[in-house]
Amino acid sequence: MIVRLALGALVLLALVPAHLSLGSGLPLAELWPALSGVDPDGVAAALLSHAAGPRAVVAVLAGAALGLAGSVLQQVTRNRLVSPLTIGASSGAWLALVVAAVAVPALATAQGVWFAMGGAVAATGLVLVIAGRAGITGLPVVLAGMAVNLLLQAVATVVVLTNGEAVRTLFIWGAGDLTQNGWDWARWLWPQVLGGLIVLFLCIRPLALLKLGTEAAASRGLALLPLVLAAVGAALWLTASVITAVGVIGFVGLLAPALARMAGARSAAGEMLASLGLGALVLLATDTLALFAGQFTRDLVPSGAAAALVGVPVLIGLTLGRLRAQDHAPLRLPEGADRLRPGLAVLVAAGVAGLTLASLTLAPTAGGWRMAWPSELVLSLRWPRLLAGAAAGAGMALAGVVLQRLLRNPLASPDIIGISSGATLALVGAVVLLGGSIHDFGAPVALLGGLGALAVLLVLGRRQNNAPGAVALVGIALAALLDAVLQMVLAKGGDETMMVVGWLAGSTARVTEGQALTLAAAVLLLAVLAVAAHRWLTLLAGGEPFAAGRGLAVGPARVVLLSLGAVTAAAVTAVVGPIAFVGLIAPHLAALLGARRSAQHLLLACGLGVLLMVLSDWLGRTLLYPVQLPAGAMASVIGGGYFLLLLLARRGGIGAGRTA
Amino acid sequence: MRLFLALLLLLGLAVPAAALTVEDSRGPHTFAAPPERAVALSWSLAEQLVNLDVAPVGVADPEGYAEWVARPALPEDVAGVGLRQEPNLERIAELAPDVILISDDQHAFLEPLSRIAPVLHFETFRADHDNQQASRDTYLALARLFDREALAAERLAERDARLKALRETVQAHFDGDPPPVTVVRFVDEARVIVYGGNAMSTFALEALGLENGFPQPASKWGLAMMTLRDLAKVTKGALLYIEPFPQADALFAKPLWKALPVVRAGDVAALPPTWTYGGVFSVEYLAEAIADALLRLDAR
Repeated sequence: MIVRLALGALVLLALVPAHLSLGSGLPLAELWPALSGVDPDGVAAALLSHAAGPRAVVAVLAGAALGLAGSVLQQVTRNRLVSPLTIGASSGAWLALVVAAVAVPALATAQGVWFAMGGAVAATGLVLVIAGRAGITGLPVVLAGMAVNLLLQAVATVVVLTNGEAVRTLFIWGAGDLTQNGWDWARWLWPQVLGGLIVLFLCIRPLALLKLGTEAAASRGLALLPLVLAAVGAALWLTASVITAVGVIGFVGLLAPALARMAGARSAAGEMLASLGLGALVLLATDTLALFAGQFTRDLVPSGAAAALVGVPVLIGLTLGRLRAQDHAPLRLPEGADRLRPGLAVLVAAGVAGLTLASLTLAPTAGGWRMAWPSELVLSLRWPRLLAGAAAGAGMALAGVVLQRLLRNPLASPDIIGISSGATLALVGAVVLLGGSIHDFGAPVALLGGLGALAVLLVLGRRQNNAPGAVALVGIALAALLDAVLQMVLAKGGDETMMVVGWLAGSTARVTEGQALTLAAAVLLLAVLAVAAHRWLTLLAGGEPFAAGRGLAVGPARVVLLSLGAVTAAAVTAVVGPIAFVGLIAPHLAALLGARRSAQHLLLACGLGVLLMVLSDWLGRTLLYPVQLPAGAMASVIGGGYFLLLLLARRGGIGAGRTA
Repeated sequence: MRLFLALLLLLGLAVPAAALTVEDSRGPHTFAAPPERAVALSWSLAEQLVNLDVAPVGVADPEGYAEWVARPALPEDVAGVGLRQEPNLERIAELAPDVILISDDQHAFLEPLSRIAPVLHFETFRADHDNQQASRDTYLALARLFDREALAAERLAERDARLKALRETVQAHFDGDPPPVTVVRFVDEARVIVYGGNAMSTFALEALGLENGFPQPASKWGLAMMTLRDLAKVTKGALLYIEPFPQADALFAKPLWKALPVVRAGDVAALPPTWTYGGVFSVEYLAEAIADALLRLDAR
């Protein structure tokens, strides 16, 4: 352990000159003359002492803080998949800062860290409540984190879109760029890190006892809760401070503790110390990499993006091989009625009809609200987006039901397990590699991405016996990879940046008549196929041995159904962009209303998906008239908000399920 | 011969005298008469319309235009039609336009917009062509569309003459040896956009006969995203930054800023808000601002 620590310190020291050289733009040979003060007023000395120096210090401080925060959160939750990024703390802090920068710019500049802290605490609290006591140690907490991340991203998108040019810069900052031009941030950051460190030092004993289990700790007469709360609070404070200083840098908090355990850290204190050192090392190394890559491009390479690109494969490699029993724990959302009342289906159908009518006839105009049957022209503007929105809603709901039933996981919707991310990643990747506008690449690229994500899921899934844990991990990794690539695009700063943001928000405004009809036809066809295969769904939902016992060829049936879900999600993504939450809540709501049988579940969920998307499209069109918000972002806000309310209302969370 | 003349006459009769053909990025489009109600969804096209004395009935995000483009001012009663990334189709339809003008990345909205009125799409910004020439062509195409070719020729001649006069003023002031100029836009306290090949501000430098102090390869928008430390490479001439930049005071207090050679020499000045991704006249506005800033700097 000591030898390894010394080795790590040596590597860290060896990295510093390389980082300083890249950070200042001075060749290695000129570093020493500049440092030793041959020309104390020269530009070289200024670059070293005001740009490269503070950047290296901030990288070390931020890396150490994130590594430590990750380690503490993992020890408290006894879950190796937990980190500030995966439990929503990062996106909560970022959104709070974005909103503050728009609403109260002066206060945000002066007191940003308090907004960040508030956002981090609120988001983390939400995630923990959703996951429930039983879910904290396993996958549920990470999936809940994904859901909260998606919701917060949607809100941030709306804020950024409606505030235009002035907040564009928030993206670059959100990507985690460590560029410094003085010691201000380093001077500000170190007391925060030290403060967190002291609090955490005091928490070492309870953390060590926690390692033995909650019961063991309680039997020693230790009042665990206050100390655990203090530890979590300190970890969140470290995270919020780093985000305030340099923006969102994911993965260090996940990687450092994993590396610490690999290096042989066992005790609570040892793990914390090693994570702290390794976090500093990892961030300094990835920032060196980002600086090195930045030499070859006209664009910025944000350190956060570099960290994610390095972190994703490591995350998969480190965790997939060692999933534990807790990671396979089944998830349960609150369950509702046991039987579908026939009136409900009629009600949903009536709702769809009524909303469709309202969407066609009721809209604000320059002269106030107006309700009238639209003219031929207005009708031609309304029906394609209405149809595309409805088809997208039905498609995502369909994919959600299929995936949730197959993976026996109520959070396994296409947006959370990575199918939408795969399709989006392919489209955004095409923009990066081939140039041009994101609108230039259509369905084939999106399908390729969605099916690629599915292939990864299937290959890794087979190795893991199709464990829900493996499936969720792939989704998380793909989403993180997408984020990294997106950060690179968003840091470019050209006009295409805002186009990508607009596209990511899931817009129905640019849908052509042909696209709307094609998507509707495709979703209809896929829905017919899914309903035709409802017996497979029923059997597989009962478990694979059960299905095999009833004579089903489990393997092929699984592949066919999973492909069906993936193709549907990719088709929707290609036409209207990524649509989040519909695939999550429509199937869930249908189940809550009592749709137990597969065919029932499929049809009711599709109806609810249509309802949600038509409503979102109409609200997006009318709420801020004449400014128009993308339907996908509206659906995320409505759907995500509903989802959170639902889980909050059912205290005890997902893990508690039926017993709650 | 007589037959040929008769044919010619017939042909002339077959095509109405007022019909006009305008070429956009997709090819020629024929209009029976000059449009009277135009909607412009990009700021560079709105700017060019105003410079043709055509008042657009609708523009995307006019508040943003007022802040970032500023010159020339839009007519007061112009209607906002939503965001540039997500225009409000129904608001546009309400305005009953007879032509909708879009540019560059907005081509995704071509099909839905064409249900409302004929759409012209101009691709002004591309890595593989001369953006200034392209925006000049766009301006001339718009002039043909609105039947103001004489006015356009006059305005372009005025513009070119104005640029020539500015060039002479600057060159005379510096005895034919003006300092190189670097034009940037600060993103925040640490990051900065440096304008290089194919940027409108670079064309303004060329028009003034000024050397670019920190040349960058040509690209679609002509911008390179850099950090403050990269400005240390600007060792001669003036550094001009485009407003608005609200964090100016914070940046100018930073030690690294104060250590930059160009800052130590005191050769830094602000340019009033001017759209760097605008049309052919934005080059003139930028040149005016640059010339003015240079003379002010030198007078100090």
